[in-house]
Amino acid sequence: MRKMTDLISINCVKLLISALFYTCVLCSSVEQKIYVVLNETVPCVRLLNATHQIGCQSSISGDTGVLHVLETESDLDWILSSGPHPPYMVIMETAFFNRSVMMRMKNSSRVAGVAVIISKTGLADNFSPHTTCPNQNTGVYSESYGSDLANCNGTVWNPLGNGLSYEDFSFPVFALKDENQTQVLRKCYEDHNQRVNGSAPQYPLCAMQLFSHMHAVTDTVTCMRRTDLQNRFSINPEVLCDPLSDFNVWTSTRPLNNSAKGHAADESVVIAATRLDGRSFFWEQAPAAEGTVSGIVTLLATIQALYPVTQEAPPPRNIFFSFFQGEAFDYIGSSKMVYDMEKNDFVIDMNNVHSMLEIGQVGLLSGRSLWMHSDPVSRQNKSVDTEVSEMMSRIQSAAAGLKLTVDHPSVSQPLPPSSFQRFLRARRIPGLVLADHNTSFTNRYYESMYDDAENLNVTYPPGLTPDEQLVYETDAAKSLAEVATLVARSLYLQAGGEENNLNNITADPKIVAQLLYGFLVQKNNSWFRSLLPPEVTKKGVNSILSPGPPQFYIGLGPRVHGPAHSVTRFVQYILANLTGTVTNLTESQCQNPSELSTENKDLFSYFWVSGPASVNGTREPFCVRASVRLSKAVSPAFELLEYGSRNYSTWTESRWKSIRARIFLVASRELEMLTLGVGVAVLLLSLLVTYFISSKAELLFSSARETPTTTY
Amino acid sequence: MDLSSVFFIGNIMNLERIPNEEKLSLCRRYYLGGFAFLPFLWLVNVLWFFREAFLKPTYTEQLQIKSYVKKSALGLIVWVAVLTTWITIFQHFRAQWGEVGDYLSFTIPLGTA
Repeated sequence: MRKMTDLISINCVKLLISALFYTCVLCSSVEQKIYVVLNETVPCVRLLNATHQIGCQSSISGDTGVLHVLETESDLDWILSSGPHPPYMVIMETAFFNRSVMMRMKNSSRVAGVAVIISKTGLADNFSPHTTCPNQNTGVYSESYGSDLANCNGTVWNPLGNGLSYEDFSFPVFALKDENQTQVLRKCYEDHNQRVNGSAPQYPLCAMQLFSHMHAVTDTVTCMRRTDLQNRFSINPEVLCDPLSDFNVWTSTRPLNNSAKGHAADESVVIAATRLDGRSFFWEQAPAAEGTVSGIVTLLATIQALYPVTQEAPPPRNIFFSFFQGEAFDYIGSSKMVYDMEKNDFVIDMNNVHSMLEIGQVGLLSGRSLWMHSDPVSRQNKSVDTEVSEMMSRIQSAAAGLKLTVDHPSVSQPLPPSSFQRFLRARRIPGLVLADHNTSFTNRYYESMYDDAENLNVTYPPGLTPDEQLVYETDAAKSLAEVATLVARSLYLQAGGEENNLNNITADPKIVAQLLYGFLVQKNNSWFRSLLPPEVTKKGVNSILSPGPPQFYIGLGPRVHGPAHSVTRFVQYILANLTGTVTNLTESQCQNPSELSTENKDLFSYFWVSGPASVNGTREPFCVRASVRLSKAVSPAFELLEYGSRNYSTWTESRWKSIRARIFLVASRELEMLTLGVGVAVLLLSLLVTYFISSKAELLFSSARETPTTTY
Repeated sequence: MDLSSVFFIGNIMNLERIPNEEKLSLCRRYYLGGFAFLPFLWLVNVLWFFREAFLKPTYTEQLQIKSYVKKSALGLIVWVAVLTTWITIFQHFRAQWGEVGDYLSFTIPLGTA
């Protein structure tokens, strides 16, 4: 008897284990059979400033809609009025991603979300989702300063702008960059949702669900207030939004003592500046070729051309090079640097600044002519006017030996949007902005996803290996090298250098070509790898050297995203390579140079870099000493806790839990209701039967046994 | 053991076997306790003693129990009215009140005003 029960229990256990093994190993869950998850998602997120919210929002449990591909006008009518299965999830062909269509979608209640196909086929001649007047409220022109020039009354800088990036959408908008993924969606649409002979398709239909629920609402003031309340009173504090922040990169021809803040004695400084960032409609997508890369590459090549001469034959004035981050969002980086200068919290202050030369968009030179923009209001002052005229004549004399022509636009024209405007807000210093446009921008894709290498005419002949492409000198590279030579010579003259040294100052087109390749096509190239620290080159998927071109969106900085933004690091290490000296310090000495008496941590930074790869793939890292520094680029509004500030940038980015997309088949509403109804009916029926049986229990079950009924 | 005696709230106390004076003192205690901003005690009072007060044959203490039950019901109705009004106003206007609304809230929903 005992042996039988043991045998049975052992068999039961074996059966159970084998059943578990079978289900767990196969793991074909029901969820995987229903949903096809889309891996690469490029969302549009919510950004907030002092008064508004922009971007896109989905519901907390995602927005679901029946797929429909928007290819023709009749599709648009189907989605907005005549289709029988609203709400629709629109797959938008490139040609339809414009203001009129998106506004109609915004005002319709039949649209659950939009997935935009990003491709060059069907792309219009121009597309700029930015506003027509970038940064109009935080520049220098206002009611009190050049009021007739404020709000682009003088010149509309971005006339092709449709302002889509600054609209607030209540449905999610995703971008489809991967061709294979778009194919999956199209196939699902063609299999299930296609209209047959003009009649509506039948259930089950292919549907897509987009999740991009943003936590922050209304504006930065509200969001920061709620974050503060959460931090003070909640058990589980949740941050709702983060200020946009990162770092500016600066260097100088004569090292400046970083620990001595405030006015630097006997220093008269010429500032050469450009911007480091860009943006587009979608999150973290910003190729920014003409808008930003042209400026960065030109200034880096300028530094490379100028640095050796300034060490051999130093000009009287110091030249201060600065790369400002966050300029797309109301001048975050430049306003912070000016604020620090005014507060005596920076290595120099406004009294040290002699003049300023900014490099704007210089990539699309038509007819090889550059334009020098100046500020008409400050030039009403005689001394400023003479300084600016002298600056212009120096630039023109520097251009004499080159194939470029430099001209200045009409005197009454205001400055284009530039970091120089923030310096003018603090003090009327003489300065110029170099650009390739006379009046409005020549960039037809300003701050959009299409401002890429092709927009800058950086294309390589087919059949080149990556290393060959790295050093191939395109026409764009040669043109930017010319501009860099011009800027370098002008800066040398502006700093008071001798004219006979000018011929030694030439930008190397090879370096320009390498920079263009690294910033526009592929950041994981052999040159960048040799400049960066060893741990960066070895890291896995999330390192800053992932494949493809770098994206120039400012992001949330070190507090949220780890070490500094990839572009900031690249520029920092490139500058270290171009201006630094190799030392023979060991790695630990490189991390702590203050212990050595020959090294000065106040004047220099020390970088441990990989070095070039030798033939058999090994690298010998070494220590570079350079006077390159990072300075914090977060808007002063967040330091002053004035979240509703009108003077400083107040841009924040909302937080979110998950952003994903998936497609699946949906059944009709009637079928769903029927299934639910049947289920509820079965439940009620079972309750009734149970009640009935339990109330008649003695009758039903008493005849089975002869046991005496126990009275209760 | 029939299903009707399954119907109880809170502690299982069968009022059948308690003497009437104790029933009265229990009812009084619940009535007085409800004044400490505890309207649920009044709710319990009403539901528990309703049968005692109105459906049972008369006994001496029933008059007082009846008055307590009536007064508890009145207090309950007032509380319900006040709370419903306040909750409706708050839910409707919290977003518009901006800062004041946030300071009055314990948890603020994410992503909506």
